[in-house]
Amino acid sequence: MKINLRVWLKIPDAEAVTVKNTLIRRMGYGKALSDLKKERLWSIEVEDVENPDELARKFARQLVNENKEDYIASVDSLVFEEGYVPVKVGLHIEDGEAITTMNQLQNRLGFDMVTGVERSTVWKLYLDSNDSVKLAEEIAERLLINPHKDFYEVL
Amino acid sequence: MKIAVIQFPGTNCEYETLVAAKSAGVDGEIFRWNRPAQELCDFDGYVIPGGFSYQDRLRAGAIASKEPVMETLREEAEAGKPIVGICNGFQILVESGLLPGLDGVDAALAQNVMVSKNQIVRRGFYCAWTTLRHDAPPNRCAGTFLIEKGELLPIPLAHAEGNLVTADENLIDRLNEENQVVFRYCDEEGNSTPDYPVNINGSRQNIAGICNPEGNVLGMMPHPERSNFAWQLPAFDPAKKGGLETPGPGRRIFESMKRYIEVKR
Amino acid sequence: MRIIGLPDQEVEANLRGAGLGLSVPEARSIADNLGRDPTFTELFNYDTMWSEHCSYKSSRATLDEFLHTTGPNVVQGPEEDAGIVAIDDEWCLVIAHESHNHPSQILPNEGAATGIGGIVRDVNCMGAKVVATADPLRFGDPHGSDSNHVRWVAGGVVDGIWQYGNALGVPVMGGDVVFDESFNTNCLVNVVAVGVVKKNEIIKSRAPAGAGEKGYDVILIGKPTDSSGFGGVTFASEELREEDEEANRGAIQIPDPFLKNVLFKANQDLFRLARERGITIGFKDLGGGGFTCASSEMGASAGYGMDLSLDKVHKVSDDLPAEVASCAETQERFLLICPPEMTPKVLQIYNEYWDLPNVYEGARATVVGKVTTNGRYITHYKDEVICNVSIEHLTKGIRYQREERPREITLSEPLIAPPEDLGAALLKVLASPNCSSREHIYRYYDTEVQGNAIIRPGEADAGLIAPVRGKKFGIALSVDSNPFYGRISPYWAGATAVAEAMRNVAAIGATPWTMTDCLNFGNPEKPEAFWEFRECVKGLSDAAKALWIKGYEDTPVPIVSGNVSFYNESPEGAVDPSPVIACAGLIKDVETAVAMHLKEPENRIYLLGPRFDELGGSDYYHTIFGSLGANVPNVRFEMERNMIYATIDSIAEGAVVSAHDISNGGLGATAAEMALAGKAKLGMNLSLDSAGSANLGTDKLIFSESSGFLLECKTGKEEVLESILRKYSLDVIDLGAVTDSPKISMTRKEKVAVDLDLKAAKKAWAEGLVEAMR
Repeated sequence: MKINLRVWLKIPDAEAVTVKNTLIRRMGYGKALSDLKKERLWSIEVEDVENPDELARKFARQLVNENKEDYIASVDSLVFEEGYVPVKVGLHIEDGEAITTMNQLQNRLGFDMVTGVERSTVWKLYLDSNDSVKLAEEIAERLLINPHKDFYEVL
Repeated sequence: MKIAVIQFPGTNCEYETLVAAKSAGVDGEIFRWNRPAQELCDFDGYVIPGGFSYQDRLRAGAIASKEPVMETLREEAEAGKPIVGICNGFQILVESGLLPGLDGVDAALAQNVMVSKNQIVRRGFYCAWTTLRHDAPPNRCAGTFLIEKGELLPIPLAHAEGNLVTADENLIDRLNEENQVVFRYCDEEGNSTPDYPVNINGSRQNIAGICNPEGNVLGMMPHPERSNFAWQLPAFDPAKKGGLETPGPGRRIFESMKRYIEVKR
Repeated sequence: MRIIGLPDQEVEANLRGAGLGLSVPEARSIADNLGRDPTFTELFNYDTMWSEHCSYKSSRATLDEFLHTTGPNVVQGPEEDAGIVAIDDEWCLVIAHESHNHPSQILPNEGAATGIGGIVRDVNCMGAKVVATADPLRFGDPHGSDSNHVRWVAGGVVDGIWQYGNALGVPVMGGDVVFDESFNTNCLVNVVAVGVVKKNEIIKSRAPAGAGEKGYDVILIGKPTDSSGFGGVTFASEELREEDEEANRGAIQIPDPFLKNVLFKANQDLFRLARERGITIGFKDLGGGGFTCASSEMGASAGYGMDLSLDKVHKVSDDLPAEVASCAETQERFLLICPPEMTPKVLQIYNEYWDLPNVYEGARATVVGKVTTNGRYITHYKDEVICNVSIEHLTKGIRYQREERPREITLSEPLIAPPEDLGAALLKVLASPNCSSREHIYRYYDTEVQGNAIIRPGEADAGLIAPVRGKKFGIALSVDSNPFYGRISPYWAGATAVAEAMRNVAAIGATPWTMTDCLNFGNPEKPEAFWEFRECVKGLSDAAKALWIKGYEDTPVPIVSGNVSFYNESPEGAVDPSPVIACAGLIKDVETAVAMHLKEPENRIYLLGPRFDELGGSDYYHTIFGSLGANVPNVRFEMERNMIYATIDSIAEGAVVSAHDISNGGLGATAAEMALAGKAKLGMNLSLDSAGSANLGTDKLIFSESSGFLLECKTGKEEVLESILRKYSLDVIDLGAVTDSPKISMTRKEKVAVDLDLKAAKKAWAEGLVEAMR
């Protein structure tokens, strides 16, 4: 089963603001882009457990900085709200941080049911457009990724 | 003759970079990124120094690459003026497509990976002195105009994302064929062993710096301005002596740039 | 809040219910001074200003009693955010030292990053360019029962330091890491920053003369105020309890090195503007105690009052409660006092040239009030006066006479027989978490940024930078403190910390010039902890007094900046007494400095400082016997001073080409480290016979941590060195020589005691810390 943790900042997200600024001020998306938010997504593959919600809470305790972040956990499913196009961006080359996190969860913290950890960013694009998916793809290709290390997926 | 050292929000090496340029006999100034772009055209060459422009938000160099000043630099590069990108400067040039300068964005500088005997022993930010081998012919690019092929230069690096990667299988071959691979990491004898600690960051073929086809744009991860004076060398390097003014290996980059400008004018 | 006329119990309930830390007597004294019940905001302001962290109420009396803060080279003592000493006629060295312990235990990354952020601000706001930092860190036992948590804290702290410092562009030039189980639940993150400034360009924080009469503007610069860090100083002034962890998390500040990087450059433009116009400004950074602390202190130190509007303070939301806006510890903020004519240009620098609002959402420079002459600290919010108190009463704080009682501890020397194979023991000591190479950590730190590094971490006992281009002078920095010594004897912990910091500076050829101290202890309301504090201060004071500034007889090396951190304690216990000392040294010509790696085969190796039976608190006892011991190293003040001066002189004369001080791991570790630094191709052949008394066991000769140096003498200069030693009444102890075979050989009474292969030593020494932090 896969435990998903969607994590976002409670305090101002300076990175999201900068990306939004760049799209609007520098790349011509002023009319089409009304807002932009960002979430981190941890997808943790685990052997089946009895109480996945409890496990999700334990993972969150390690991975979510409650001083400045909030989160939603879900098991196997990943559902996003209406109103924006979620664009997932991750590394298609080896992800060192994900590997380090997996090692820490398995070894240092004793979560031996963990079999895989995937880390990605979900950009939430609030778009005014007839074909927002196409626009989101364009934005992903022009700014959000460098195709030589990143992949993207419109969710 | 004067060069501009571009200063983005978050740049942090601009002052010593200007010192290095001046010590090579080039006049220059620090150019704040949001000054009117026309003012940039008065300069004969440009250096994009190291640091964390825009705090590496989104991707190191990505946000800076979209700033208007980079458009102007692209035009100036097309006109043949030299640009040297150091560390974050290299990352910005890669994100702008100015390097390797073939056709759009052809590569990425990803997170460092230290591989020794097939095991990953470390990741992430690393600060150490390394030796660079100049693998291009002399006069090939602006930043190494005076440097012989095979010359070894001790220069320090300090970065978290210097691992040159590309989805284009043929890219590295093309770069080799066109002599666009300017620097490789090697040991003190000049061997570019693929393992850490010689290959400090896992970069393909130990590549530490590349230039564009024309040779006027050079990008390199290590910091020549931190090896500009002999006194900056590590304690056990026998060349670390000679007073405050004795030049260090990094000086050659700035002297090359100066010579390039003189010759091309 | 109602106080007057209410019984103590009710006042207590009211105070705690509001989240205030003030005691009932403190609250009553405030009501008395006002002649009425104080408002909520007023109480929060007092709570912050009278907290231990801001007011030093438990420590001030002791510090004033013992510490020497003046001297012939002092330009400015501890009364400002950073201390300043003269380098030459033109340039000055600025230094500050702080702790950020509690926050780092809860959120290691943010806590450590904010620690760096705070200390560099303290140096920058004096008008200085920040040129380096050093970080003395203490963590719990990485191999003990709490090892997961300890390693999580340690890794997070190191990340916080490099992520902030590297992005900001300030190199790390020194530091140390000590692992000790007393820090399991209370890590120590101390930070030191140094800067340089021209004497005539120093900026003070106090409101300049005439500011009140002319109604100077008060301008707040930087991040929009939010609730982060609210309760920060109160948090730092209480013991850490696990149940409080959730609430404690809310008190952590959020650092932003990128905004800080931009602000530093904008600040330089501001300072230049003030210089060009010949205007004296007041400039201070906002740290502990937030807006209230900075603004009230800037006014009070000049005898002025303040009239401020929290409406004008740029905030993340207009709903922010008054007490939060007043006392929150939002990072990356500065406060400026300047004449109104200068204001428009100031705002332009920050808001236009450096584009603050686009660098960080909501960041800007705004006018928030005026300096007044009525001696009151007044703040307005939403059409009300929510605070109107005597600025002097608010900032003066209170003093407490805490009780002291010696801590009872039974100490004994281990009665176990020493191991047969002392070479193997040395290998174990070299691999131990506290003795092993720190390279694993410092590779994360950018040591080269700014291009000033001459000697970096790993090359010698102290770092060295040449901070001003075109000038030959160099600044050395070393930080030290041994908590195991502290557990045995707080007095000797203080004295040895001073001595060791100075020895480290001398070992590269620099002259100890000034010191800072960061004193980390448990709960001062407990008499044993307060006794430990006083004993440490006495020890460090005695050492500073005896190890006087070279060239100025009988003149203590001044302590120009410092910090006291109490309450490093949880129900499991308090930290070992930890007086952390930073010593900054001067060298006139950086070319004369020496690093510690061995230079030339056949060069003689001299020992300064005979070995005594002083292995209490040693790495040897800890690693091999698992024991603390009792005979802690003492400082023989006169001999110590002579050893330090002899080392400096012999390096200056070119007689000594490498030097390394003796501390953890004894002379065995010192010898190994000199051989392992650099290319590790040279070794040593030593006879221990003259290293100490004939009665001392060989293991004790090798591992005693009595202070001293190992000096490598250039062939042909032995007479020069020996005459210097005689001049300083030191024994001439020639132990042996450098060899060109990569091993350390030590003999005693003609028998081989140690035959250590350098390759094996390098492996053990390099991996010890990696193992501890895995």
